[in-house]
Amino acid sequence: MSSSAASTSKPAEKVNEQTKEEDAQPTLGVLEEDDEFEEFAVADWDDSHTDLAHLGGAAPGSAKSGGDKLWEDNWDDDDIEDEFSVQLRNELAKTGKGDKDADAMQQ
Amino acid sequence: MPITFSVFLTQLATALQAENGPDLAFLLRPTSPHGKDLLKELRSPTSRQQLSHYEGSIEGPWDEIAIQYVLVTSHAAKKRPGEAFKEQSTLVSLFFRYFTTNSGWTLPALFSILRDLRDLAFDADFHAKYNGQKSESMEEAARIIAKAFGNCLTDRTSPYAYSRKWGVYYVVGLVLKCYFRVKRISLSKNILRALEANDIPPLAEYPRSHQVTYRYYLGMLSFLNEEYAKSEQELTLAFYHCHIEAHSNQERILTFLIPLRIIRGHLPSTDLMQRFPILDELYAPFTAAIRTGDISGYDAALNKWERRLVELNLWLTLEKARELCLRGLFRRVWVAAQKGTRIPISMFHSSLRISGITVDPEEAECLVANMIYKGFMRGYISHERQTVVLAGTNAFPRLADRPTPFAVL
Repeated sequence: MSSSAASTSKPAEKVNEQTKEEDAQPTLGVLEEDDEFEEFAVADWDDSHTDLAHLGGAAPGSAKSGGDKLWEDNWDDDDIEDEFSVQLRNELAKTGKGDKDADAMQQ
Repeated sequence: MPITFSVFLTQLATALQAENGPDLAFLLRPTSPHGKDLLKELRSPTSRQQLSHYEGSIEGPWDEIAIQYVLVTSHAAKKRPGEAFKEQSTLVSLFFRYFTTNSGWTLPALFSILRDLRDLAFDADFHAKYNGQKSESMEEAARIIAKAFGNCLTDRTSPYAYSRKWGVYYVVGLVLKCYFRVKRISLSKNILRALEANDIPPLAEYPRSHQVTYRYYLGMLSFLNEEYAKSEQELTLAFYHCHIEAHSNQERILTFLIPLRIIRGHLPSTDLMQRFPILDELYAPFTAAIRTGDISGYDAALNKWERRLVELNLWLTLEKARELCLRGLFRRVWVAAQKGTRIPISMFHSSLRISGITVDPEEAECLVANMIYKGFMRGYISHERQTVVLAGTNAFPRLADRPTPFAVL
């Protein structure tokens, strides 16, 4: 009896710890589980009340290159200068292997 | 002046005579102001017997519907959602008798009583759960609403403009909402199949609220069935046709649309994210990491949001999108090597190590091979020389240019 009581008390503590951890998880307001797609206040509306209005004829979701400013499709950046770039270049210089190997292959 | 039951009956008869759908909907809504008047007059009856002397007072089934209306209102006012739900179920069944023998002019009333039915089922189940009881009102509501769907779909006599078919998509939206609530999503297949098999007007001719709700659920179903291209298409249309003031609906659509578009190589712009701060909080760490190839930042975001992403069924999608981040990291190696065409594998290995990812050199080689195989990088690996030979042009194609972006999933 007493041993089973002891063994059940431990997992209970663990559960408590877990809940504490989960409480620390940031909440997301409307994205909580019980939330649902809501009834619309009106039945119908025209383009001016939608995100189609800004498109000026572009296809929805075509991204910036297609005239839809809500999405970016050209975001590769060649000029990021941060600690990581420096470390990467140091690594390249250290090995110096890049050039050597390239030469070897060209011969 | 308070509305008496006999006045209420006259108003019902007038609405029927004039075929006034919105008035009929108003009269049958438990929250309408006349509800309270009727309860006062009739002393909040709780059984049909108490009102049986009113049977036959107007054309059937409207005498019985009027009585049911009082019972629903009475139970709802007394906070007995289980009983209110049962009485509303009877009301809806009686309504069907009239609905199926008439044109679609009653659709506003149908929408209203079905919406109330679902809301009452929600309250009934919530109330029962709170009291530790079992309740399957939502399942029952789904069955009744599915019947209404059939009754709309099979209208073969009404003129086109007044067809009950104009109710199809609204009712489908409600049925699917019930199925999602009770997690019986597989039942949706029957509904979608019936929609395909019947001759109904094009979706674009229905009111926007019907279109958007339908596309949202269709997008969600496709997402859960792992048909990501279709899901992205439906959710995109749902978002762009949604009323911009229906903010939380737009937010819900975007919750699933953003990860799908990220995989397509389209990152949400600042313009978009400023309007949805909650989604910005969730997704900004992922998109920032993808832009800079910050794989440890990406992993930290995955870790931070794990529970919520699992709940939303989005974990797998964002875990797969990690490959986009890895592509960003390898692209930075290429930029650091001045976009040379020959880069030692050890450099890719080092880039992972500097990022705090510990893997064997063989695993790094394997990751590069996988990137090439999936079209994120163009080139080949010279295993003997331990070198990656990259294409002279377009070594890292734009993510948005991949022909089948969802193949990574």
